Amino acid sequence: MRVVIAEDDAVSRKILETLLCKWGHEVTTTQDGEAAWNVLQEPGAPSLAILDIMMPGIDGLELCRRVRLLPNPIPPYIILLTANHGVSEIVKGIEAGADDYLTKPYDRDELRVRVQVGARIVELQTSLAERVGQLEAALAHVKKLEGILPICSYCKKIRNDLDCWQHVETYVADHSQAEFSHGICPTCYENTVKPQLEFFQISQASALEPAK
Amino acid sequence: MSFEPIITTENQETISLIPAPAGVARITSDAVDMKLLNAFEELQADDGTDLIVELIDLYLADAPQRMLAIREAALATDWVLLKRAVHNLKGSSANLGVRHVAETCIKLEGIEFEPSPEGVGELLQQMDGEMSRAREALLSERQRRLQ
Repeated sequence: MRVVIAEDDAVSRKILETLLCKWGHEVTTTQDGEAAWNVLQEPGAPSLAILDIMMPGIDGLELCRRVRLLPNPIPPYIILLTANHGVSEIVKGIEAGADDYLTKPYDRDELRVRVQVGARIVELQTSLAERVGQLEAALAHVKKLEGILPICSYCKKIRNDLDCWQHVETYVADHSQAEFSHGICPTCYENTVKPQLEFFQISQASALEPAK
Repeated sequence: MSFEPIITTENQETISLIPAPAGVARITSDAVDMKLLNAFEELQADDGTDLIVELIDLYLADAPQRMLAIREAALATDWVLLKRAVHNLKGSSANLGVRHVAETCIKLEGIEFEPSPEGVGELLQQMDGEMSRAREALLSERQRRLQ
C-alpha cells in the first residue's frame, strides 16, 4: 500500500519510514504539511496518510480538513500522530477528518496493527467503489421502456421516435434487453391455427381423392 | 571523519548492550538510553547501511538547529515558538533515548511563561549540558558501530 508520512522531525520521519518499508508499504516522506498536501492531491495519491499534528505551515488538522474536501472517490485513511495525550486534541483531530490517532511515543506493534486496519478499510472502499462502477456501467446499458406509446389499434404496430411504424416485438427488442421466442397461445391456437390446420387437412384429402 | 570515544567512568549504564569490538574501550554513559537506541537493531536493512548511525547523524544535524531556535525564541520572549521548538526536540530526543534532554524539554514545556518565565534560563543551561553529554555518547556509539 502507498503511504505518505508528514513529519517535520527528521528522526521520527526516518523511524516511521523504516518501519513502514519493513512492513511492505511503499512510502513517500514529506517534512511539512504543504508538501504532504501536494502529494495527496496528485492523481493516484497514497491511500494512507500518517500525519503529525504539530507541523510548521499547514498542520495535521488543517491537512485533514483539506483532504476531506477533495472529490476523491476513495478518500485516504488518515492516522494522526499527537504528542498531546489530551482528549480535546484527539476530538479535534477526528472532527477534522482523521480516521485514527496515535499518541507519541507510540508502540511499534500498535502502529503496525492500526496501519493494517487502515489498509483493510481502504481495500473495502476500493472494492465497493469497483462494485459501484460495475453497477453504473451495467445500468448505462439497460434501455428503458417508458412513456406513452402510440400503437395501431388494428395491426398493433408502434410508432417509434423516428415516426416509423414498427412491429411490437421489434420495438420492444430495440428498447430493452428483452428477446423473443415465438410460440402460439391457446386462444390463437383455437381461433386461428386449428381452423387453418383443419382447412389444410380437408384441402389435402380432397386433393388425394380419386376423381370420379 | 573520525570521532574519539568519550569514556565517562562516573556514569552507571553501559553505552551499548552489544559487546564492544576487541580493542575498543568500554564506554559508559547515562546520557543516552542505549537499550532504547539499540532496539532499532531489529529494523536494520540488508543493504549494509546502519540505521542507528543514520538516526544518530540525523539527530546530531537537527538538534543544534532546534537548540538555536529555542534560544532565539527565549531571547525574543516568543513563548509559543519556544514551546514548539522544545516540543520538536523532545520528540526526537525521546525517540533516540536521549532521555535527559527529553526530560528537560518536558520541564520547559510545563513552565507557565506568563506573567514571568521563571526558571527558563536555568533549564536552558541545563539542556546545553545534557545535550553536550548526549552528543558525546552518540558520537562514541557512532564510532563504535563504524569500526
